[in-house]
Amino acid sequence: MSAIQESAPRGHIEVRDFALSYETIDGSVEAVTNTHIHVDPGEFVSIVGPSGCGKSTFLNAVAGFLKPTTGSIKVDGEVVTSPSAERGMVFQQYSLFPWKTVRENVEFGLKMRGMPRSQRERAARTLLGLAGLEAFEKHYPEKLSGGMKQRVGIVRALATGPKVLLLDEPFGALDAQTRVIMQQILTNMWQRLKISVLFVTHDIDEAIFLSDRVYCMTARPGSIKAEIPIPLERPRQQAMMMSSEFLALRRGLMSLIREESLKAMGGELNELGMQGLNIELHGHSLADVL
Amino acid sequence: MSSSAILRHQEDTVPAAAAVAEPAPALAPPAKSPSFGTFALRWYRLNRDRLRATAIAVLSLAAFLIVWHLLTTYRVVFFVRFTNVPSPLAVYASFTKAIHDPRFLMHVILSCRRIFIGFSLAAIVGVPLGLIMGRFRLVHEVVFPVAEVLRPIPAIAWVPMAIMLWPTNEQSIVFITFLGSFFPILINTLHGMSLVDPVLVRAAQCLGAGERAIFREVYFPASLPHIFTGLTIGMGVAWVSLIAAEMISGQYGIGYFTWEAYSLVQYPDIALGMIAIGVLGLGSSLLIRGAGHLVMPWRST
Repeated sequence: MSAIQESAPRGHIEVRDFALSYETIDGSVEAVTNTHIHVDPGEFVSIVGPSGCGKSTFLNAVAGFLKPTTGSIKVDGEVVTSPSAERGMVFQQYSLFPWKTVRENVEFGLKMRGMPRSQRERAARTLLGLAGLEAFEKHYPEKLSGGMKQRVGIVRALATGPKVLLLDEPFGALDAQTRVIMQQILTNMWQRLKISVLFVTHDIDEAIFLSDRVYCMTARPGSIKAEIPIPLERPRQQAMMMSSEFLALRRGLMSLIREESLKAMGGELNELGMQGLNIELHGHSLADVL
Repeated sequence: MSSSAILRHQEDTVPAAAAVAEPAPALAPPAKSPSFGTFALRWYRLNRDRLRATAIAVLSLAAFLIVWHLLTTYRVVFFVRFTNVPSPLAVYASFTKAIHDPRFLMHVILSCRRIFIGFSLAAIVGVPLGLIMGRFRLVHEVVFPVAEVLRPIPAIAWVPMAIMLWPTNEQSIVFITFLGSFFPILINTLHGMSLVDPVLVRAAQCLGAGERAIFREVYFPASLPHIFTGLTIGMGVAWVSLIAAEMISGQYGIGYFTWEAYSLVQYPDIALGMIAIGVLGLGSSLLIRGAGHLVMPWRST
């Protein structure tokens, strides 16, 4: 599978003039506006932004679940109109089929493609082996820990050999230690398969540690505020997160996000009738102290 | 919009705490084979609660029989009159007589056959109809209002109409049984369809599943737990409806047997008929539960 991808790099995502709004009784509300991004073949790109900025909405549009109001999404030159196995997706909520065993979950995409049973069983076993899950192939998802479930989710999305992998805060529900391990596993798989990845998260460390490039989104309606290349060498080790280079990138991204989070929270606090807290001033003075 | 952002943040943190508390998957038991004594002791420790429940259940049933025996032998009259109520021993005597009587067995077999046909038809019609209604809005919009109007009518109220509708008595009784179980099966199937997690549907779409595959691989298995709830409730209502129909319009059947016993002043047979109905009802629910375990192996722990 990887041999094919090396000879012809695939998975080029190109999003232009993207906007998405939805209708309410008060008129149309913009969730995402004026967004351009691109992901080169084999590149790992993250989108970070404050909660509710529309980054998940954007990813769902790239997956084909939502139609852009304006603009276009193209993968390898073809316009995205509906979900397909070419764009594998991993959801924040563990989305394994509870009625299928781990192996049957991984086999699902291959079954949909009409691959014969014995062949897809073998393929699923191989993939589970790569993720260190071969011992659990006959387990039902309910019996697995959160980290294992998400590993199966990633393996399942990769089983059909998609051009791009979309991940929507996949490690958001995991504890800190498990999250770090999962990041390593994801990096390993990505490097092995040479696939393009678009990763949505609100965790700045995670975005820097994993990505070649990070897009920072504004508060709602979301648009791209900045594009930050991550020149850290690969393979990356956890110790790198203490390096001055990493911390400098982190500080830069932090201040970008903080501005947007405060904007988002400011609106929230107003609505809650808590303007008296003067949170904006606090945020800045705290930042100065740090 | 803003409050949803707060909620979302909470959602993010709560499962993280849960994930930490999750135990590691069960390890294989130690290889050394224990002696019989330790094995028995372990078995006892693991099953202590179940043993206790069984022991109490036996005692409680025994107490019930003793109270029944005392109330009937002393012919207690205290608001309720136990004067003519048969004693447990009299019922046992008529039971030993009945199991050798081909007519009693025929009553039982006929009732079971009616349940089997009526209930099976209800499942064969109700489950697919519920699935289709859950998936296609137009079908739902057309069928649901009619179903909602007919649903509150108890199956027993259909007895006169059923007799007019169907040429034979047997068919009208089966029809009543069908009606009784049909609506719980339909409504629960529909409920199951409405609760299917949309993320699972999206996950299937991302893996290349088309409309039919999503129906077969996601909607149907996801609804199975509710379908089986509907089947269990439907089976209970099927018995209620059957017994009422047999008492009113029947010839034969365990409901008719019970009613006939009253007319013929065979008091022990009244209790025998009641107990037979209870046992048959319990047995059929157990059958459905067993089928549920077979069909949904992921739910049995």
